[in-house]
Amino acid sequence: MPEPLTPPNGRTASEAIGNAGAGGTMDFAASEAVSIGLATAPTARARSLWSDAWHDLRRNPVFIVSALLIVFLVVIAIWPQLIATGNPLACDINKSLLGPAPGHPFGFDTQGCDVYTRTVYGARASVTVGVCATAGAALLGGVLGGFAGFFGGWWDALLSRVSDIFFGIPIILGGLVFLSVVTNATVWPVVGFIVLLGWPQIARIARGAVITAKQNDYVQAARALGAGPIRMLLRHIAPNAVAPVIVVATIALGTYISLEATLSFLGVGLKPPTVSWGIDISSASTQIRNAPHMLLWPAAALSVTVLAFIMLGDAVRDALDPKLR
Amino acid sequence: MSGSARLKWAVCASAIALTATACGGGGGGGGGANGIVRASWGDPQHPLEPANTNEVQGGKVLDMVFRGLKKYDPKTGAAQNWIADSISTSDQQNFTVKLKPGWKFSNGEPVTAHSFVDAWNYGALVTNKQLNSSFFSYIDGYGQVHPGSGNPTAQAMSGLVVKDDQTFTVKLSQKFSTWPDTLGYSAFYPLPRTFFTDHAGWLQKPVGDGPYAIDSYTKGSIMRLRKWDGYTGDDKAKNGGVDLRVYTDSNTAYTDLQAGNIDLVDDIPATQLRNVKRDLGPRYINQPAGIIQTIAFPMYDPRWNGTSMQKVRQGISMAIDRASITSKIFLNTRTPATDWTSPVLGDKGGYKAGLCGGVCTYSPSQAKKLIQEGGGLPGGQMKIGYNADTGSHKEWVDAVCNSINNSLGNDRACVGAPVGTFADFRNQITSKSETNPFRAGWQMDYPLIQDFLQPLYYTGGSSNDSHWSNADFDKLVDQANAESDSAKAVGDFQDAEKILAQQVPAIPLWYQNGNAGYSSNISNVALNQFSVPVYNDITVG
Repeated sequence: MPEPLTPPNGRTASEAIGNAGAGGTMDFAASEAVSIGLATAPTARARSLWSDAWHDLRRNPVFIVSALLIVFLVVIAIWPQLIATGNPLACDINKSLLGPAPGHPFGFDTQGCDVYTRTVYGARASVTVGVCATAGAALLGGVLGGFAGFFGGWWDALLSRVSDIFFGIPIILGGLVFLSVVTNATVWPVVGFIVLLGWPQIARIARGAVITAKQNDYVQAARALGAGPIRMLLRHIAPNAVAPVIVVATIALGTYISLEATLSFLGVGLKPPTVSWGIDISSASTQIRNAPHMLLWPAAALSVTVLAFIMLGDAVRDALDPKLR
Repeated sequence: MSGSARLKWAVCASAIALTATACGGGGGGGGGANGIVRASWGDPQHPLEPANTNEVQGGKVLDMVFRGLKKYDPKTGAAQNWIADSISTSDQQNFTVKLKPGWKFSNGEPVTAHSFVDAWNYGALVTNKQLNSSFFSYIDGYGQVHPGSGNPTAQAMSGLVVKDDQTFTVKLSQKFSTWPDTLGYSAFYPLPRTFFTDHAGWLQKPVGDGPYAIDSYTKGSIMRLRKWDGYTGDDKAKNGGVDLRVYTDSNTAYTDLQAGNIDLVDDIPATQLRNVKRDLGPRYINQPAGIIQTIAFPMYDPRWNGTSMQKVRQGISMAIDRASITSKIFLNTRTPATDWTSPVLGDKGGYKAGLCGGVCTYSPSQAKKLIQEGGGLPGGQMKIGYNADTGSHKEWVDAVCNSINNSLGNDRACVGAPVGTFADFRNQITSKSETNPFRAGWQMDYPLIQDFLQPLYYTGGSSNDSHWSNADFDKLVDQANAESDSAKAVGDFQDAEKILAQQVPAIPLWYQNGNAGYSSNISNVALNQFSVPVYNDITVG
């Protein structure tokens, strides 16, 4: 049963590492060079990498569509009652498996709960897990990877080996082992687990970006002028190394959401009474012959959400990394 | 190895081609008298010692591998003499058991009076830690081999005396008129000498005196049972053997049945009940069985055992809408329970509809009132423990919780607490580490009202998972057992049951039907009164 969900998950994650890892770090120096070159042109005011990217993004329909979807998702994750007035935990067994009815456009599940309400409320768990896990992994991975790249030496060797160890843990197996002992029904154990297994990917990217940025002339110049390591890192290296991390993190967000759903589907992620698409898909999967609507709606919501975040990640990568186009 | 395997297949193929008869042992290939039945199963909780198995999956195997003094008729459930030639008494307390000659274990050893007496003494001795030891508690001398605390002062029960190879006598510590009818239960099976001389070896490959012998067992995967050709009983296996395959999800077993990967599923998942008639047609069995499902309270946990908690327990029972759940989740393959026994006992046997009274009647307002009067749910929230691998428990536990939540007007009052496997779940309960109310299904061991009450609710009973204890209840049960008139005995048991209706150590939910489905590969499939397939009657092909 887990098969349909796992491969896309694994694949996208590794693609993200591959593309953004190689492309992001190498080409970044090139784009830097381009903008330095442009700066000598007398016509326009020099555009920074960020305003350049924003300029591109505004004209990218993929970005506009995915951004609108995400804004919508975030809004209903915070205020689900805006579009669903019911209570996702109020279930009437006598309505078990009934189809759509007035006020209940998606029908009812096995327990007689309203599928529409549950689908809307399910966004909260997914978005919370996605955003928090990404923020955590980006922060932890970015800081550790950045230090490793900047200081090098034993610090780098140690961190690289530690991240290798975490890379070696199969994510589904790890989830089954770690999360099956957790009885806490909130989202935080799942967030913690994803951060724990997600940070090395970002740390590798951050390390590569910092190493590349460190070799640039302006960093050497700053060093020659007597700047301390902290100042160099914060003023000169970090702003120029953060772009690839943002790209990978945005793409990872989508995969983290589908990972949460996978773990919940397997019964080790979020636990009832938390409302989650993964849980609903799991209980709907056995009823597919009797009540396909039960599976359709949460599965569609999950797919659209994951797609929106991955499309956003793609658009951001294109904008920050013009050479890939 | 591979060479011989290939040779075997070649022989099989030619045998089928030439005579179209069976070729057993080839992993289910072939049919007829040597065909192998492939059936669904779950790992048993413990190694298969007869006196240490009190759950259904292990019991299934024991019933295939062993035969006892009595056997329950698959259709009526009536106890009939099997290895026993006669069990006679004049005073309901002293019994003389005579065995039929000629019975053997599958290792060639004869079944004698010693085989029974030694097995029972082993099962009763406290240091052997057998789960079913309390089944021997009526035999005189049980107190010496199984004291409440401390070391045993004897190694064998004084009430058991071997007269000769075919005869032994039993003295009970009190009158117990229906005692002989309990002797078909697996705890009373005989054991060969090798059980005692090479215990570890025996556990690896249990040896019994039944129509099947265990060929191999791989935990978590498969147990292969093969017909024992030397079996002389009347119920010889009509197939070549049974492969019991372990499934951790009954839906997978059901899809495997449809795909033709197994032949017999005796646990139809609730989510497939809507389709099962269309899928299987006449190969679907749905019949009443001696099974009741309950929610038991951990009475060893002070949170659930306070004096005011009685009202809370009653209230929870009244908050459950049994009728809707049995019709919507189970499509009427369960019947709402109104007592603690089973309709298969019949009115004469002690079943009494409505004995539970108002406590088992759905009444949300009364439920809320009682729970509030009792001080509310402990900690404001309850969980219901269940195993997730068999029996479609998630669906009904969620429905029961929703019903309780709706009654209390609190959508987080109750939530299900799944445990991955049946064996883990049972371990948590027997070790008292389960602190939530938990699901407790009871499949009768023998069709007597005594079996629905004493093992479950008598102080120290073998399956008294709640560890509930009530002196009045115990006294009424003792009194009932001492009656020589069965109608009076039933009356006493029902009086004891009325105490359950007040104290509610366990909430009766519903009586369960036996549900099974089988492939077109096998025929003559039936469930007995215990809802276990009558494996030895199944024919293949």
